[in-house]
Amino acid sequence: MTRGDKILYIVCGLLFAAMALLPLFGASGFLLRTITLALMYAVMALAWNFIGGYTGYSAFGNVAFFGIGATVTGVMMTKMRWDFAPAVLLGGVICSLLSFLIGPALLRLRGHYFAVATLGIANAAREIVAGWDDVTGGGIGLNLPLNTDKDFYTFIYYIFLALTILSAVITYFISRNKLGFGWLAIRENEEGAKALGIDATLYKTLAWVLACFIVGITGGIYAYYNTAISPEAIFNPLYSTTPILITLLGGTGTVVGPILGAMILLPLSTWLLFNFPGIQPALLGIIIILTIIFLPRGLYEYLSGRRKLTLAALLKNPRDNQA
Amino acid sequence: MSTKPLVLQTQGLTKTFGGLMALSNVNMTLHEGEILGVIGPNGAGKTTFINVVTALYPPSSGKIEFLGRDVSVSHPHRMGRIGLARTFQVVRPFRNLSVLENVAVGAMFGAGGAKRSASEAFGRAEQVLTRVGMKDKISADASRLTIPDLKRLELARALAMDPKVLLLDEVMAGLHTAEIDRAVELLKQIHADGISLLVVEHVMKAIKALSHRIMVLDFGKKIADDAPDVVLNDPNVIAAYLGQRYMQRQHEKAG
Repeated sequence: MTRGDKILYIVCGLLFAAMALLPLFGASGFLLRTITLALMYAVMALAWNFIGGYTGYSAFGNVAFFGIGATVTGVMMTKMRWDFAPAVLLGGVICSLLSFLIGPALLRLRGHYFAVATLGIANAAREIVAGWDDVTGGGIGLNLPLNTDKDFYTFIYYIFLALTILSAVITYFISRNKLGFGWLAIRENEEGAKALGIDATLYKTLAWVLACFIVGITGGIYAYYNTAISPEAIFNPLYSTTPILITLLGGTGTVVGPILGAMILLPLSTWLLFNFPGIQPALLGIIIILTIIFLPRGLYEYLSGRRKLTLAALLKNPRDNQA
Repeated sequence: MSTKPLVLQTQGLTKTFGGLMALSNVNMTLHEGEILGVIGPNGAGKTTFINVVTALYPPSSGKIEFLGRDVSVSHPHRMGRIGLARTFQVVRPFRNLSVLENVAVGAMFGAGGAKRSASEAFGRAEQVLTRVGMKDKISADASRLTIPDLKRLELARALAMDPKVLLLDEVMAGLHTAEIDRAVELLKQIHADGISLLVVEHVMKAIKALSHRIMVLDFGKKIADDAPDVVLNDPNVIAAYLGQRYMQRQHEKAG
């Protein structure tokens, strides 16, 4: 670990501490909700980072599991009168099981083929949920029990904060153990990795199932938070793409990248929406394009001091090093 | 040599790609402590042979035995874990990882990996890199290495796996004379540590310096398998691979 890494870990630690204290100092509801959303995306970015960042499989359909997690939670809480916690957990478990079943087949594909296949899974999941009227409420969706507790939004805020910290800690430990190095080796060269003794199918499936479990849980919490869920809303492709953009901005295959990415991109996006309402999507698009051209490995590389942020470094395409 | 036990053998090994017979009924033996050279013209099936033996491709028919076990149906990672390591002719480095991390992955997952933690694997990787003379490049990204260094990295990763048998696919291609001499020395040391070697190579100087026995493949068939001086004077081998000019030069050097 370099000195730059240590500083970044401390920055993240302080950020978490500040966020933990924020509600105690009477932060406005608007601020809390903005950060809640940023944290929700941070969790999904950390989840995508396992399969997309560390293992190098560009999953483009994680929204499938966001939607399934939300639907399972909704169905269990409305039709079966389950409590929030077990309903959310069941959503996560069902997402893991489904991803475990389709994973070994799906993960035989690579690159664009894998991305398109995951996109297909997301569309299929939306159609099934929208068509299954008796259980899921069809195209209209479900209304979850309304929680009228005055601290409800603070409660959700803390859940997402805890989930972010937990996901980051899991990432940290995995990245320093065999599982993490196995994932990186698969990302860099799968056949080389296999020849060195890495069971690529098992490792890829683990990354995928872990990612889908976390995304499923996040979807379930979102359902309770938002109360009303429709297939249109919970299978919104933005839930797939935003976590990817966040991770790319912060740094793929790193512990702090997804966290910093979320804390930069989402407030920025909200700020742009308020100040340039008409052209906010276009401005976001420009920022994303510039990031991908000039920072293909994300801000992490510069923030950790691995690369000096100079004009020359920005103009020299970092991809040049890769054959 | 042949009194030593067999570590790797194939019987009637055949591999077809559609109508193309890449390997045809190849019987190969490798004894403990042996260095077997494998030569043959381009497209003879040398790399395919390594790919089939390491389970990257399943054989169309025939049998592969490693350390007395039938491994005809296996997976590449399983072969790596039971002590069969290989290098790739077209190198497969982990470009965005450091040299040390590249080799540590070999130490984590190879035959010796089960008993090592990730941090112990880094210690082992450092040892191996010192051994192959790359200690000064430990923290460089693999993407910054030259081809000779990438070939050495490939070898270091395989060594870090603590294999019983090492299959080398043209590790000397692209090296200049002095580098070849150094590589031959290194392979001799590795062999002295008790690792049996199968060396696929076009560099005849290295093949002659290393091999206890040479097997020759041509169009997927084994056309010779004997002591180096016998094989290199075999008219079939001269016709298929070495060529008359090579023989003349050898005679001029000798005379």
